[in-house]
Amino acid sequence: MSARNRGTELDQVGGATEEGVDLPSSLHPTGMHTSGFGCFPMEPEALNLSWISKMQVNQPAVLRRAQQIQARRTVKKEWQAAWLLKAVTFIDLTTLSGDDTSSNIQRLCYKAKYPIREDLLKTLNMHDKGLTTAAVCVYPARVCDAVRALKAAGCTIPVASVATGFPAGQTHLKTRLEEIRLAVEDGATEIDVVINRTLVLTGQWEALYDEIRQFRKACGEAHLKTILATGELGSLTNVYKASMIAMMAGSDFIKTSTGKETVNATFPVAIVMLRAIRDFFWKTGNKVGFKPAGGIRSAKDSLAWLSLVKEELGDEWLTPDLFRIGASTLLSDIERQIYHHVTGRYAAYHDLPMS
Amino acid sequence: MAATRTKPSAREIFTTLEYGPVPESHACALAWLDTQDRHLGHYVNGKWLKPEHRNSVPCQDPITGERLAICLQAQAEDVVAAVEAAGTAFENWSGLPGASRAQHLLRLAKMIQKHQRLLWTLESLVTGRAVREVRDGDVPLAQQLLQYHAVQAYTQEEVLAGWEPMGVIGLILSPTFSFLEMMWRICPALAVGCTVVVLVPPASPTPLLLAQLAGELGSFPGILNVISGPASLGPVLASQPGVQKVTFCGAIEEGRALRRTLAGKGAELGLALGAESLLMLTEAADVDSAVEGVVDAAWSDRSAGGLRLLIQESVWDETMRRLQERMARLRGGRGLDGAVDMGARGAAAHDLAQRYVREARSQGAQVFQAGAVPSDSPFFPPTLVSDLPPASPCTQAEVPWPVVVASPFRTAKEALAVANGTPRGASASVWSERLGQALELGYGLRVGTVWINAHGLRNAEVPTGGCKESGSSWSGGPDGLYEYLRPSGTPARLSYFSENLNYGTFGLAVPSTLPAGPEIGPSWVGQSPGARATLLWALATALERREAALTSRLERHGTELKDAKVEVELSARQLRAWGARAQAQGHVLQVAGLKGPVLRLREPLGVLAIVCPDEWPLLAFVSLLAAALAHGNTVVLVPSGACPIPALELCQDMAALLPAGLVNVVTGDRDHLTRCLALHQDVQALWYFGSAQGSQFVEWASAGNLKPVWVNRGCPWAWDQEAKGAGRELGLRAARTKALWLPMGD
Repeated sequence: MSARNRGTELDQVGGATEEGVDLPSSLHPTGMHTSGFGCFPMEPEALNLSWISKMQVNQPAVLRRAQQIQARRTVKKEWQAAWLLKAVTFIDLTTLSGDDTSSNIQRLCYKAKYPIREDLLKTLNMHDKGLTTAAVCVYPARVCDAVRALKAAGCTIPVASVATGFPAGQTHLKTRLEEIRLAVEDGATEIDVVINRTLVLTGQWEALYDEIRQFRKACGEAHLKTILATGELGSLTNVYKASMIAMMAGSDFIKTSTGKETVNATFPVAIVMLRAIRDFFWKTGNKVGFKPAGGIRSAKDSLAWLSLVKEELGDEWLTPDLFRIGASTLLSDIERQIYHHVTGRYAAYHDLPMS
Repeated sequence: MAATRTKPSAREIFTTLEYGPVPESHACALAWLDTQDRHLGHYVNGKWLKPEHRNSVPCQDPITGERLAICLQAQAEDVVAAVEAAGTAFENWSGLPGASRAQHLLRLAKMIQKHQRLLWTLESLVTGRAVREVRDGDVPLAQQLLQYHAVQAYTQEEVLAGWEPMGVIGLILSPTFSFLEMMWRICPALAVGCTVVVLVPPASPTPLLLAQLAGELGSFPGILNVISGPASLGPVLASQPGVQKVTFCGAIEEGRALRRTLAGKGAELGLALGAESLLMLTEAADVDSAVEGVVDAAWSDRSAGGLRLLIQESVWDETMRRLQERMARLRGGRGLDGAVDMGARGAAAHDLAQRYVREARSQGAQVFQAGAVPSDSPFFPPTLVSDLPPASPCTQAEVPWPVVVASPFRTAKEALAVANGTPRGASASVWSERLGQALELGYGLRVGTVWINAHGLRNAEVPTGGCKESGSSWSGGPDGLYEYLRPSGTPARLSYFSENLNYGTFGLAVPSTLPAGPEIGPSWVGQSPGARATLLWALATALERREAALTSRLERHGTELKDAKVEVELSARQLRAWGARAQAQGHVLQVAGLKGPVLRLREPLGVLAIVCPDEWPLLAFVSLLAAALAHGNTVVLVPSGACPIPALELCQDMAALLPAGLVNVVTGDRDHLTRCLALHQDVQALWYFGSAQGSQFVEWASAGNLKPVWVNRGCPWAWDQEAKGAGRELGLRAARTKALWLPMGD
């Protein structure tokens, strides 16, 4: 909408196609530090407990806001198609299963490189945009497979690895840190860590801050995405506080959930996290990214997530540097919708390549 | 905006990620207008009424200016026809068992559901409001209102025994009020057995459509009649013989004028005035959520009015920053677009807002406007006014849509003083995460509705109304039903208007012997109902101790000994009865769709002035006093003029028992005292039992601060009968309702 965002920044699919595209700081209207590709990972802030001590989130009010957002913003026709394609560029295409092997990892990586059928993109005049997903996300033991497969496909998108005793985080700190180092060694450039929920539920904010600081350090040059597992934090106020601590400790992204909890990415939780991100930006000038994950399956959902970020944080955050959607089956539904938009027919299972 | 540009390609949108148009097709609305040949009349007695030789006005799309239809303007004879139809229908309708009326209301609810798309597109098309709000808010609520009131009709014989429907009800809507405001009032009226004539402003097709839907149900054609005409027809409708009650929704000054015009006329008058609301944001609030509350209140097409925003100084900067950030993301545009927050409200609303903003600027205010809103009339951007000097005229005036006027406060106490310092009192919200503080503010606000950490929630089960100059007419919940009921056996209301009454000189024949304003002590609101009960019982005992003296006083006045004894005995009983009732007031409502309770509180009116009747000098005095005190009011009483001594004797006991200043008994020329009290701006309610002329004067003079008045129209009452002396009507009138919403969750 606003003119200042019509620059080249978004034209390049947020830089997701080329590793190491350095976004000049002039592209960020505030000239502030942004995490994400090409930028250095976020520097930690000193712990400041006064930023969280007074905060109280009103849950019923947030629930009402969550309902409204879905009813107030919809996009149709060309807009819907464009928004869906944009959503593709935000996807961390994920497989986190016990039965992952190199063959399905390879398939996943090819799908990440070619998320939408070429002919469909051509009809929409989008074939030359180098459309890919934002990253692939796998278990630490599969990082090597993913790196190899992407290289073979000639694709430079990053490999993200979960770590630190994913999904429960209930292992010793030493092994959790070692997990990060090994994943980075194997070539993961983004690490999705889970936080220790015990520390949140017992109010040990300093300890939580210290742990995430150590994760940050262990990541080295890799980007740190901190999973708050919001379904297990007990209250929205805790979600806000944990978000703030994670950002102070130097997370590049804060992420809703592992996808393994009973409650995953929900709008009320997202609203609280996005407000925390905005507060952190206002306090420090640092932009931290947001990644909802778990339970986002339909194309319609993805549109709601885009408009949620647009409404709460603005267009500046609608770039893969600052917004990701963790999903596995979402992409196929988006592709199906694009197919329908282009052809006017609903796709059969065999019409679209599997991931 | 986007609609006027050439359509961008997906490739372009991929870069800009802008919102596109989401037009809602209004073909069905146009098709319905076509069924009337784009020529709308009135809907009376189940038929379209399109008399010849009438003026007509065009009904226009407020945004494009396109002419949608021609609407006939009613004249007095059309009003007469509508009232006649409603009168005839009343015979049948009120005689039906409640269960049958319930069935009929449910059928209407189904009818609305069947035609819901027509309803929301038509409403959005002609008013310019965002279709989302009409579709997701108004239309479901209209159905819910019918369903709730169907249940009330079903249980009427049991729950509302001793009450009967008033008769034909006149409802006058002014242009800023939507069809939903009509539903809020016709539903309870129809449920209890009344029939309705609605006067809507020119070019309002939606109420006509609703009347047609009701009419097409077939069985009871005349129960809902809608005529469209200029505001000047309001008094004509109100003074039709047969119209028992008039409810007026509109601007405060119009309500005041109507109150004066209707003094002494037959119909009772209920007023629901103004549309301004208030939001109080404390430092203990979840500020981001409170900012959403401001959006709900002023910038989401939910309310017809503006908002006064009180912000605690310690969070002022933070709140203003968040508000301005949020405003920038608001979208305005054609109401029929499914993705806009705000539509337009027509040229009149635009001009009103513009005038207000210009005025505020000239008085030194800061004005901030933002949002993606088309710049041309009738669109008006979300507007935030701050730094308005507290004493400037704009601060006193009602804030129009879509303006928010923000001002700071230092402490919760100060916030209450500021919030209660306006003559309006419709609704307010309090934002605080501290339960104690939120409740303190919620109870302390002098308004009809208080939401804690929410704004603008509405539900058919929750009474909605106001106090002070916002008028004291209620809709929804039990209070809404009593608006259209009267104790069984009450004679029909006839006009007792006297041409000869000179308002300017009434009560001035006798030179003033009393100070102009009574000395009012502090109210005993703080006293628990239990303490009130104890004091009333103690007063009863004291009265019994004086039995012999009181009986002889009454006897000397000419009452038979037997009757005098009865009067004293009944008086003591009334005190005890009202004392007992003091404890059982208000209750908790459980509302569908809301987690948490809604409290229906019964609060004191404040200073209640009572001019007692000449008849039953002790009993009437005690009955009125007991009811007033039981509900926590501070009272100014003028005792019987013919025989004031028994009342004054009781005063000796009251002086000993009650807090000083709680009960003030004044004697002197009754007309003169009535004049003083009726014109007194700080008397919150007035009950008058005296002459017809006095009643008419009281009704006329009450327009000053729009205090609720209750007059006997010169007719003596049988105070020794239970229904009169201790009846529920007395209890209803002795307190005002407040709905306190308490959403919960963690």
